[in-house]
Amino acid sequence: MSLALNVDSLRYRYQQKWVLDNVNLQLEQGQFYALLGPNGAGKSTLFNLLCQLLQTRDGAIDVAGHSTLKAPRKALAALGIVFQQSTLDLDLTVQQNLEYHASLHGMSSKASKAAIERELARFELIDRKKDSVRSLNGGHRRRVEIARALLHDPAILLLDEASVGLDMPTRDSINQHIRGLCESRGITVLSSTHLVDEVLPEDHLILLHQGKILLDKPCQQALDDEQVGGVKSLYRNLTTSGEAA
Amino acid sequence: MKSWILPAMMMAASPAMADIAYVSNEKDDTLTLIDTDALEVLQTIDVGMRPRGIIFSHDYKYLYICASDSDAVQVLDVATNKIIHNLPSGEDPEQFALHPNNHHLYIANEDDAVVTVVDTEKRDVVAQIDVGVEPEGMAASPDGKWVINTSETTNMLHWIDASTQELVDNTLVDQRPRHVEFTKDGKTVWSSSEIGGTVSIVDVASKAITHTINFKIPGVHRDKIQPVGVKLTNNGKYAFVALGPANHVAVVDAKTYEVLDYLLVGRRVWMLEFANDQKLLLTTNGVSGDVSVIDTDDLKVIKTLKVGRYPWGVAVKP
Amino acid sequence: MKYWVAFKGIVIREMWRFWHQKARLVSALVRPLLWLVVFAAGFRAALGIAIIPPYDTYITYDVYIMPGLAGIILLFNGMQSSLSMVYDREMGSMKILLTSPLPRPFLLVSKLVAGAIISLLQAYAFFLIAWLLGIEVPLMGYVYAAPALLITALMLGALGLLLSSFIKQLENFAGVMNFVVFPMFFLSSALYPLWKLKESNEWLYWVSAYNPFTHGVELIRFALYESWNPTATWVTLVTTVVFCGVAIWGYDPKRGMQQKKKPSK
Repeated sequence: MSLALNVDSLRYRYQQKWVLDNVNLQLEQGQFYALLGPNGAGKSTLFNLLCQLLQTRDGAIDVAGHSTLKAPRKALAALGIVFQQSTLDLDLTVQQNLEYHASLHGMSSKASKAAIERELARFELIDRKKDSVRSLNGGHRRRVEIARALLHDPAILLLDEASVGLDMPTRDSINQHIRGLCESRGITVLSSTHLVDEVLPEDHLILLHQGKILLDKPCQQALDDEQVGGVKSLYRNLTTSGEAA
Repeated sequence: MKSWILPAMMMAASPAMADIAYVSNEKDDTLTLIDTDALEVLQTIDVGMRPRGIIFSHDYKYLYICASDSDAVQVLDVATNKIIHNLPSGEDPEQFALHPNNHHLYIANEDDAVVTVVDTEKRDVVAQIDVGVEPEGMAASPDGKWVINTSETTNMLHWIDASTQELVDNTLVDQRPRHVEFTKDGKTVWSSSEIGGTVSIVDVASKAITHTINFKIPGVHRDKIQPVGVKLTNNGKYAFVALGPANHVAVVDAKTYEVLDYLLVGRRVWMLEFANDQKLLLTTNGVSGDVSVIDTDDLKVIKTLKVGRYPWGVAVKP
Repeated sequence: MKYWVAFKGIVIREMWRFWHQKARLVSALVRPLLWLVVFAAGFRAALGIAIIPPYDTYITYDVYIMPGLAGIILLFNGMQSSLSMVYDREMGSMKILLTSPLPRPFLLVSKLVAGAIISLLQAYAFFLIAWLLGIEVPLMGYVYAAPALLITALMLGALGLLLSSFIKQLENFAGVMNFVVFPMFFLSSALYPLWKLKESNEWLYWVSAYNPFTHGVELIRFALYESWNPTATWVTLVTTVVFCGVAIWGYDPKRGMQQKKKPSK
């Protein structure tokens, strides 16, 4: 089975400092991966490299089998991204925002309409289709962004701190939606967060700390191996420098 | 009163041969000939010294030219464009008028305060009439009854009875009257006052001023508004007034005497003449040395052509 | 086909955004109209001695500055578009554009063309109002002006894109605008004919003659009067291509701004 994402010996330097240091990842199809790390760990840099906003020749990235160096456009086409900051046009309607994104992926108007209906239905936003984004609350906006990222049917969905700034019930709802995606669509999800309590024991946990991968295994297994009760303790044990989570 | 259609190039309505405009160039001692269809200069002809007033004989066989410094009126044969002879004129002839009878030429002699009447066929002086100081403008009424002369310093219109060649009456107008023009029906005279900055409308029957037109151009100082040449359309619709250093031609409604528009032309616009069946109006712009062409339907200046130095008068042969 | 869909999508988005910011249209028009009315009223008299092509006769000042004011609309909108790109970058919308699987140069050029189309609409709105104020050009001139306006708008938009690549923050951009926009406008043939500049100061004349904005304005002026100015056309075309090239190169994440940006926390 081909990997949804294969990162090989990835290193990235910024101003004399290695922001990412020998990162290796193999993500399989249809799985949910939680990427945990404090601020400054290099999560966003990793995401920027995956979606080619940054470039490096130090290591290789293959998205759904397409190399970002040799087939960069195919690699991008297989990705869906939700950025940490909102990237919606506030003045436009939900539908207009989605149509724009679909056109950027070369989707015909027929395909785009169908995809928009499908995703908005999934996220229960059909009745907000014609509303201006400005009138939506934070939670709804996030859902729109996730719906948008899925329009072109990507193999892998990247979420950069998707639930930041949202209240508890909204966060739970969003997280539920996201985890459901893997099951229903067979899509691979890589969701990054700095909040320990966002990681569930059934997730596959990847721990990123100061540019290095400290852990890459199913969360429950990690808890058992380290003989700790919660992810927080797991985190503390592994990060010897004692930085707070 | 603006038309909505903007012609890029003026095409004569009638497919007949183009009119030719003859322009006298005061400083170059030449005439410039212009094709009024193509709006191009055709040729330049040498004439006498300081050519100013020019008019055609009523059959367009001859062109009479006031060659002021040569103290003569030159006669140009239109067929050959050559000067064939001179006519006696008195000293320093500037403007003149040809009586409807086609052989009496009334010439204003600026320095001598007289009007000299010359017979063009016999080529001799018929009469000399004493008028006011510095006579300049001349016009003959369409019915041949009157010839009017303006005297610049005495600010008067002098009415000359054409049958007796006698000065019969005078009308006081505004300062420095330079030019007079009869309407087609001969009932009214338009007279421009250069320093006064006005145009006076005079009733021929009563010889009294019935109306005075004032001019005001935004952005142009009133001292610069010095009306000189006046031309009226045959249909009684418009009157055009050249405003000298104001660099504009005023468009006046000939019935209501209301100024409708001011058209920008070259510098120190002096005299005017129609061409192409009154569809075009040509203006001589003394200081800038060019002739501007105005479309009289659209009331727009369509072109300005370079001619000789200090163009003074213009006459058009259909 | 994919390219056409994406191009259409980018243009439509710009138009929607412009539609939602009607205040932008009004302010874009108020500036040049104010100039037209105020300056023109002051300089009613003829424009000096020489009659320069493409004019056939003497013109009033308001007629002369019309193409220049159309040019300033394009200039301001070009800068405005790039300002919105800096904003987009800060707000994140640019990321959506840049993570499209289509080639980056194509995306950026599409964005430029979209901006140029908006500029064009603003210019025509200006022409309409000028026409109502009594300043007209030959009818076909309005048609011929379209390609002239488009090329000039592209050139100025590309300049904006170029500048935005090297500006990091919204606040800095305003300053750059003052150092670029106003000198470009004043040292050109927009407000006074070049021969008049030459009379007063040789240096001013040379700077203005080499200013690509001058050539854009002259291109528009000649087109409006149904004429063609070859020099202006070539200079504008070449400058557009050069500006576009440098701007797109500047947007490449290997160089330019993106790399200098600190990785977000």
